[in-house]
Amino acid sequence: MRVFDLSVSEMLWSRRTIFMALVVGAPVLIALFLRMLDAFGAPVFRVNNAMMAGPAIFGLMIWVFYLRFTVPVLGVFYGTSLIADEVEDKTITYLFTRPIPKGAVLMGKYFAYLACTLFVVLPSVVIVYLSIVPMRGNLGASFLDLLKDLGLLAIGLAVYGAVFAFIGARFKRPLLVGLIFIFGWEQAALAFPGYLKKFTVAYYLQAMVPHAMPNDSVVSLIQGVFRESPSLVESLVWLAAILFVFLCAAAASVERKEYILEQ
Amino acid sequence: MSPIHDQSYRHYAGVKAPLGRSWTVIASAGIMTIVRKRVFLAILFVGWVQFFGRAIGFYFSNTIQQLSVLSASAETFRSFLEYQGFIVFVITIYVGAGLIAQDRRANALQLYLSKPLLRSEYIVGKLAVLAAFLLLVTMVPALMLLLVQVVLAGSSGFLKTNTFLIPAIVLASLLQVLLASVTMLALSSLSKSARFVAIMYAGVLFFTKAIFGVLYAITGTTAVAWVSPGENLAQVVDVIFRLKPRYATPWQVSLLVIIGLVAASVSVLERRVRGVEVVT
Amino acid sequence: MAVEAVVMGTVPVVTAEHVSKWYGQVIGLNDVSVSVPPGVTGLLGPNGAGKSTFMKLITGQLRPSKGDVKVLGEPIWRNPHLYFQIGFCPEQDAFYDRMTGLEWVRALVRLNGLTEKEADEAARRALAAVDLMEAAGKKIGAYSKGMRQRVKMAQALVHDPQLLILDEPLAGMDPIGRRKTIRLIRDWGRAGKSIIVSSHILHEIESMTSNILLINNGRILAEGDVHQIRDLIDEHPHTVYVRAEDPRRVARQFLDDTTDDVRSLRFEPGAVVVETGRPDAFYARLTDMAASGEFGAIDEVTSPDDNLQAVFQYLVK
Repeated sequence: MRVFDLSVSEMLWSRRTIFMALVVGAPVLIALFLRMLDAFGAPVFRVNNAMMAGPAIFGLMIWVFYLRFTVPVLGVFYGTSLIADEVEDKTITYLFTRPIPKGAVLMGKYFAYLACTLFVVLPSVVIVYLSIVPMRGNLGASFLDLLKDLGLLAIGLAVYGAVFAFIGARFKRPLLVGLIFIFGWEQAALAFPGYLKKFTVAYYLQAMVPHAMPNDSVVSLIQGVFRESPSLVESLVWLAAILFVFLCAAAASVERKEYILEQ
Repeated sequence: MSPIHDQSYRHYAGVKAPLGRSWTVIASAGIMTIVRKRVFLAILFVGWVQFFGRAIGFYFSNTIQQLSVLSASAETFRSFLEYQGFIVFVITIYVGAGLIAQDRRANALQLYLSKPLLRSEYIVGKLAVLAAFLLLVTMVPALMLLLVQVVLAGSSGFLKTNTFLIPAIVLASLLQVLLASVTMLALSSLSKSARFVAIMYAGVLFFTKAIFGVLYAITGTTAVAWVSPGENLAQVVDVIFRLKPRYATPWQVSLLVIIGLVAASVSVLERRVRGVEVVT
Repeated sequence: MAVEAVVMGTVPVVTAEHVSKWYGQVIGLNDVSVSVPPGVTGLLGPNGAGKSTFMKLITGQLRPSKGDVKVLGEPIWRNPHLYFQIGFCPEQDAFYDRMTGLEWVRALVRLNGLTEKEADEAARRALAAVDLMEAAGKKIGAYSKGMRQRVKMAQALVHDPQLLILDEPLAGMDPIGRRKTIRLIRDWGRAGKSIIVSSHILHEIESMTSNILLINNGRILAEGDVHQIRDLIDEHPHTVYVRAEDPRRVARQFLDDTTDDVRSLRFEPGAVVVETGRPDAFYARLTDMAASGEFGAIDEVTSPDDNLQAVFQYLVK
C-alpha cells in the first residue's frame, strides 16, 4: 500500500500520464465533434444510405479505440515500465533497500498503474457515452452496455497490465516485445482458426463485448470469420488465471533479478 | 641530432578533411554500434525473409507454368514495400529512439557541438544511421527482387515493360524512410529517455490509425485517411507505383500532410539540437 | 540474536567469505574474504577498484556469483527484514525531483512501517540532523548538489538504523559541507552506530576513522587500523623526519651505532630524514638520544608516511 501511495502520485503527474490523457482525450474530442456535426445536420453518419445510431457509434468506438488500441497500448506503456522506469531513473535503490519484499514493490506499482489508468480511461468512456448515445439513441436503454464496457475495459487494463508487467520484468527490450505481442501476435492469432487464439488476451476480452464487432479492415474481416466466443464465465476464469499467473511470475522475476544501474 | 627523442605533445600535421564531412564520422560510429548487437542482426535477417519468400515465388512462377500466378507485377513490388512496413516500424524504434535521446541524457550534445561540427551535420549524421538500416530493408531488397525477377526470367522484357519500377522503388523507399527517420529523430530530440520516445512514436502511429478506423467506420468514407501518416504514405506510394489510390483522399493532400510532418520534424530538430539549453 | 550480538560489539557487522562477483567476462570482486567490525570503517580504493560492487553486495542489490555475504549476522540477499537495521546512502544522484525533501524522506520511511504521524516526525528529525530543515519544503529538483547529498543521508538514517552504509557521501560537496558531514559521521560512530563509508579520497577517510578496508582490482589489499597496516608493510621502510639543532651530529650518531635500523638518510634544511626498516627500535634509540642531550636539541620528530596515503601508495603500486 505504501509503495502504491508513493507511486501513484509519481505516475499521475508523469509525462507518460499526460501523454495518456491526450490519447484518451482524443475520442472525447471526436465524440463532441461528431455531436456538433450531428447538431448541424451534417450527413456524416450516413453509411450506405443508412443512418448510424448513437449506440452503434459508441460500440464502434469501444471496439476500435478502447479495446483494440487504448487498453492494450496503455498496458504495454505502463506495464513494461513499472520497474524499468525506476531503474532508468536510478531510484530503484531506495525502494529495494527498504524492509519490503521486491515483489511487493512491483505489486504496489502495478496497483498504482491500475488506479491511474482507470482514473483516466473510465471517465473518458463515460463522457463519450454521454455525448454519442443520445444521437438517435436512448441513454437508459444502453446504460447496461456502458456498465459492461466499463467492467470489460477495467478487466482489460488489469490483465494486460499483468502480462506486460511480467514482460517488463523479464525481457531486456520489453516495449518492443509488448508491441509485437499486441500488434503482431494477437492480430495474427485471432485471424487463424483453431486453438491459437486462446493464447491471446484479446480472445477472452472480445467475447465479453456487448457490441457487434466492426469490419473496418481486412484483418477485422478475417478475424470476424474465425471468431469464436467463449462463455462469459469461461472468459472471466481465464482472464483471472492470466492475471494471477503473470502477476505472480512478474513478482517472482523481480525478486530474483539483479538490477545493475547505468554508471 | 639528439639521441633522445622528443616525447612531448606534437600537433597533428596530417591532412584534415574539410568542413561538412563530419556527419560521416557520426554515421559510421552509430552504424557500427548498432551492428555489433546480435539481436539487431536477427531483426535485420527477419527483415529479409519476405525477399527470400518472394524470390522463391518468382523462381517457381518462372519454372512451373501452373504457378505463374506468383509472377511479378508492379503491384508485387508495391505490396513488398507495404509489408515491410512492420519491420520498418521495429527498426525505427530499435535504432532511432535513442539516437538523440541518449546523447541528451549523457549531456553529449555539448561535447559534439563544441567541436567544429555544424548542427546540421550532427542531424544528418544521426539521420544517416537510421536511414541506412531502413533502406537496407526497403530499397535494397526491393531492387534486388527486381534483379532476381529479371535474372530468373532470362530476359529484360519485364523491365522494359515496367521501366518506371526502378525510380518508383527508389522514390517510394526514400519517402518511406524519410518520413520514418525524420519524425523519429524529432521525437528523440524531445526527451532524454529512449523508452519514452519509443512510446511516443508507437503511440502517435497507432493512435492516428485508430482515429482513422473510427472515422471511417462512422462516416463510411476513406476521405478521412489524411489523419493517419501511415495511410497518407500508402496513398502516395500507390500513386508512385501507378496504381489506383486506395483512399478517397486526394493524393496531393496526402503528400502535403507528409511534407508538413517532415517540415514540422525538421523545425523541432532545429530548435532542440543545441549545445546549450536556456532555462528561464 | 545476531543483531543484538552486533550491538554488543562482538560480531562483525559485515562478513564476506570467498565472495566473487563477475559481470559477464569482467570480475568486479575476486575471492574477497573480510570481516567488518562494529564502528566506523572506511572502504578505500581507486576508481574501478570494486568499492561500489562491494557496497551493492552488502546492501543486497547484487547477489554474489560465489561465496556468502552476511550483514548483521544474516544473509542479506532477499532478506528485506534486515533493512529495518540498515540505512543506505547510494552514490547516484537520483530522486523524485517533483517531491519536496520532507515528502520524499517521509514517503520512504513509511515503507519501514511507520504511521503517517511517526513518519513525519522521523523525517523532520532526520532532516534536522543533516541541517536541511530550512529547505525541507522545497522541491528536491531545486536543491544544490550538497543539499541533495544531505537529503540522501537523511533518508538513510531516518529510521535510526544500526548500520549505515554510505557510498561516496561527500561527492560534490563544498568544503564546509564536507567538514559538517565528516563531523556527523564521527558523531554517529561515537553514538554507537556502525558505519561503512566508501571513498577514493584518502584524507577524507583518514579524518573519519583509522579503521580501513583497502580494495583494488577487485581484491582486498588490507583491512584494519591504518597504523597497524603501515607497521606491517615491512618491505617499505618508514620515513622519519628529525628536526634538530645539529642535524649532522645526530645523523653521525645514527650511523655510528652498531644497530642496523637505518637504511638511508638525507639532509634537509635544519633536519635529517631517515629511512628505517625497524621503526620501533629506531624511535627507542632516538628517545634516548634526545634525553641524553649530547647531540643537541631535537626539536621535532614526525613520520610523513605514517598515514593512509603512504599505505595506499605502497599497496596499490
